[in-house]
Amino acid sequence: MNTVKQKKNKKKSIWLDVWRRLRKNKMAVGGLVIIILLFLTAIFADWIAPYSYESQDLLNMFQTPSFEHWFGTDEFGRDIFSRIVYGSRISLEVGFIAVGISLIIGGSIGAIAGYYGGRLENLLMRCMDVLLAIPEILLAIAIVAALGPSIANLMIAVGISSIPGYARLVRASVMSIREQEFIEAARAAGSSDFRIIVKHILPNCMAPIIVQATIGVAIAILTAAGLSFIGLGIQPPTPEWGSMLSGGRSYIRDYPHMTLFPGIAMMVTILALNLLGDGLRDALDPKLKN
Amino acid sequence: MRKKISIFLVGVLLLVTALTGCSSAKPEAASGAESTNGSEAASGAETTPAAPAKDTLIVATGYDAKSLDPHATNDVASSNIMEQIYDTLVVLNSSNEVVGSLAEKFEVIDELTYKFYLKKGVKFHNGEELKAADVAYTFKRATSPIGGSIAHIVGDIDPEGLEIVDDYTIIVRIKTPNSAFLPSLTHKGGGVILNEKAVEAAGDAYAMNPVGTGPFKFESWAKGDQIVLTRFDEYYGEKPSFSKMVIRAIPEATNRTIELESGGVDIAYDIATNDITRIEENKDLKIIRKMANSTTYFAFNTLKAPFDDIKVRQAIEYAIDTETIVQAVWRGVGAPAVGPVPPNIKYFNNALGKPTYDVEKAKALLVEAGYPDGFTAKIWTNDKKARIDMCTIIQNQLAEIGIKTEIQVLEWGAYLEGIKNGDHEMFMVGWSTQTPDPDMSLYGPFHSSQKGKNNFSYYDNPKVDALLEEGRKLADSKERQAIYEELQTIIREEAPWIVMENSETVVGVRSNIEGFDPSPFGYHVLYNVTIK
Amino acid sequence: MLKYFARRILMLIPVILGVAFIVFFLLYITPGDPARIILGDQATEESVLQLREEMGLNDPFFVRFGKYAYNLVVNQDVGKSYVTKRPVWDEIMTVFPATLKLAGSSILLALLIGIPIGIISAIKQYSIFDNVTMLFALIGISMPVFWLGLLLILLFSVKLGWLPSSGYTTLNAMILPAVALGAQSIAIITRMTRSSMLEVIRMDYIRMARSKGQDENKVVFKHALGNALIPIITIAGLQFGRLLGGAVLTESIFSIPGIGRLMVESIKMRDFPVVQGGVLFVAISFSLVNLLVDLLYAYVDPRIKSQYK
Repeated sequence: MNTVKQKKNKKKSIWLDVWRRLRKNKMAVGGLVIIILLFLTAIFADWIAPYSYESQDLLNMFQTPSFEHWFGTDEFGRDIFSRIVYGSRISLEVGFIAVGISLIIGGSIGAIAGYYGGRLENLLMRCMDVLLAIPEILLAIAIVAALGPSIANLMIAVGISSIPGYARLVRASVMSIREQEFIEAARAAGSSDFRIIVKHILPNCMAPIIVQATIGVAIAILTAAGLSFIGLGIQPPTPEWGSMLSGGRSYIRDYPHMTLFPGIAMMVTILALNLLGDGLRDALDPKLKN
Repeated sequence: MRKKISIFLVGVLLLVTALTGCSSAKPEAASGAESTNGSEAASGAETTPAAPAKDTLIVATGYDAKSLDPHATNDVASSNIMEQIYDTLVVLNSSNEVVGSLAEKFEVIDELTYKFYLKKGVKFHNGEELKAADVAYTFKRATSPIGGSIAHIVGDIDPEGLEIVDDYTIIVRIKTPNSAFLPSLTHKGGGVILNEKAVEAAGDAYAMNPVGTGPFKFESWAKGDQIVLTRFDEYYGEKPSFSKMVIRAIPEATNRTIELESGGVDIAYDIATNDITRIEENKDLKIIRKMANSTTYFAFNTLKAPFDDIKVRQAIEYAIDTETIVQAVWRGVGAPAVGPVPPNIKYFNNALGKPTYDVEKAKALLVEAGYPDGFTAKIWTNDKKARIDMCTIIQNQLAEIGIKTEIQVLEWGAYLEGIKNGDHEMFMVGWSTQTPDPDMSLYGPFHSSQKGKNNFSYYDNPKVDALLEEGRKLADSKERQAIYEELQTIIREEAPWIVMENSETVVGVRSNIEGFDPSPFGYHVLYNVTIK
Repeated sequence: MLKYFARRILMLIPVILGVAFIVFFLLYITPGDPARIILGDQATEESVLQLREEMGLNDPFFVRFGKYAYNLVVNQDVGKSYVTKRPVWDEIMTVFPATLKLAGSSILLALLIGIPIGIISAIKQYSIFDNVTMLFALIGISMPVFWLGLLLILLFSVKLGWLPSSGYTTLNAMILPAVALGAQSIAIITRMTRSSMLEVIRMDYIRMARSKGQDENKVVFKHALGNALIPIITIAGLQFGRLLGGAVLTESIFSIPGIGRLMVESIKMRDFPVVQGGVLFVAISFSLVNLLVDLLYAYVDPRIKSQYK
């Protein structure tokens, strides 16, 4: 037990180290700040947005940016700024929940495969190969078509389509750890397999998972936006950035502001996630930085 | 590190200015478009592979054809190609009367029997001569399960009653008297004549190897991209003035306009509303508009509560401001609809007037119906942007009288299946009058025998059924007119549909194209166009 | 070596069957009746029922999948399109060239731009050039392809009128789509080149070569690049495979009739055989590209060759 406690303390200091290194990376901090701001925007959308995301004003359609409407209005006279503010909710929700789905399912599959090895591993990983052979966006499209259009189904579709990546990653991490001493010790102490995996193995292979998940959220947001861009998944009047883009697409020559602002919002979000992901990778793997 | 962050900031700044630069340039784009357009067109013309000596007509459409087997499909994009390569026995002249085409003349022997005398020496693209046997073969095939897509158009023909008198004379019998029968034969798709030999030889491949008698013959088809037709030199009628026609599928309306401006195409269909002024102000281009025979409507599953209650339907009709919606979504194109029969079709009842918008009356009706606090419901639509947009506004307007709705955008397959199963509540869809008779406007969507098939609202009214059946039998007359006018009145009154909009065909053409006249049916004659 | 690849090819079969199963299952639960789609909106109920029976649509799921798999494996037959009645294979082959051209020119662009810039960035690590490049690479990765495509059309087709906004037959028409689709790959390959070059440069033998006073260019190109190429090839191969099936959005924006658009249209029209065949085709090409990448590995790095027994 003593060693485990030591391990825990050591772990704490590892994370402190990581944070210290991350803090020095200004780009990553910038990304983190943007993401925190986004979360605040999403949480306090009701206070931040000057208008409701669905309130229409058919007399003031296609307004260009002004003091009244910072980002102008769309084809229903809705305030684009407010829609983007509310849209942050959708994007963050879709991004994190989708990654959550793929992380939980993919992670479990990877952990089981990596821990037990043998035939089970072979079977599980061949299944992952199958999923991996279908391009994510095609798989997601097929799943959304099958389940019917809704945000929940969109999350499921995006989540399922990126399962194999996480399964492979977790499996590799687990394999690198399962033969280590402290695992043997836990096993000898009579811990169940489930307990060993959850309590001892997973916490020790968090580093690559966190990096992958951070970038994964960015990819999930992109995939979801892509799907709603081609009209799958999101139902009107939901202010999803991808569907806002696709709505503004027909008016791009006259009213480019309709496509510019949702696009910028999307790009900044994804850029921030990638910056943070990159920073985390460097911070977690100090060998790469000299 | 400091350097890195400053570079990052500069980068973001640059990007933002570059992007907002585009947006601030917008007002000038609207007003000064025509000044730049000239040079644009010139430079564009150089870059496109441009047809030599303009012997080729290039047309941009929004959708690729589905099939060139006229019995296998009934979509406007396919009909648009078939119009150029097939002929029908009869056609409509400019005053909407049925006159002979492949048939030199025809006789109505009795209300069930029609006799057609074929023109002699008409050649199919495979060299075969048109014979009565081909006509018999065609109609037999059209009424078999193969022709499921067009059953509502020529399904009245009795396949047992086809009688070949001689090589150039055929008698066609129909199952029930229907004065809309002759007009239905003008449909490009349902009414076109095929060559027996060509169809049998090609088998399943016929859809991509069509053989007709029309002025252009099929050459090649790059799916999703373009269809190439060439002039048929043995065409029996007037020969087209150009030898090649390319019909390109460009789904994005914006892209079609850009291609038209740059000279990449000569004619562009379905111009987006916001591009109309741009084209009108460009001296190299012109806009041609014509009201089409299709109606977009918002309707109810009349089997389901609360929509089985006339008062609820009427309340919703009063709560929806169609005029504003049509203006907001179409901005000057098309017109708010008056009734289920489009204005260009005979017996159109203009006396009905547009639906009135009266929120107070709507609320009162809801109270009367027992829903003082409104209710919640689903709105279905398919993925056409204009329809989604109309639903989005309707959603807002219904909220005013306490009806909370959820919009569900379904793909066509799922939509149809849902309708067949009766899962729908409120829905937006369109109906085109594909042959020039009010029977085509009303029988499908409102006769109880068509429930779930064309009658999406499961409307069932014995009186309407009786009138529809009576209207079919009568020859054109005051009496027939009265029947159809009454039908329109009843339908507006009972509101299984709320008619939204009559659509308008907006086509952009380059100034050197002459003689293009769009058809209200959505598929247009291209072979008689001239290129200057 | 040959044996190894034969084995890899054989191992593809279960993967392909797995893909077929997944797609078949997804389409099975997708709403929309194929019989009605074939017969059209106006068909009578009886004829739909009859066709359902003929098509075996009333059979249990596994019977249907079994038949499909049997035809796939034994006859290499993936059926006919419900809509056009043409063999699915023909449908795919008419659109595949456009996709291949698009993916090919994108990856070519990515290699031509990404590798040199990545090398320079690595050699001049932490210089302004390096920083700017890395920033742009990050932006490139973060840029939604459909947004970039729209911006490109706005600038080059609408404002400047230099390039067409649709089509794929001419070189000019290919430029915008290839740039839009390739942007992400350019960014990824630049980053990959840089990081793997950095890794290699730090290795002992490069230091040795340098300390021996060898020409710097020679060190970079002969010693370093050769070794750094392996991960670059891997990533380029992966990217290419992804582009083959993942160009849906680019194809939609630039009106290119490629395999991605065929898939989306077919799903919308419930043309199930085409969806099945198309996804299978993409999956097979993707797997084959991966195999090819492995082949290239061995070619670039003889050390790996010895592992294939």
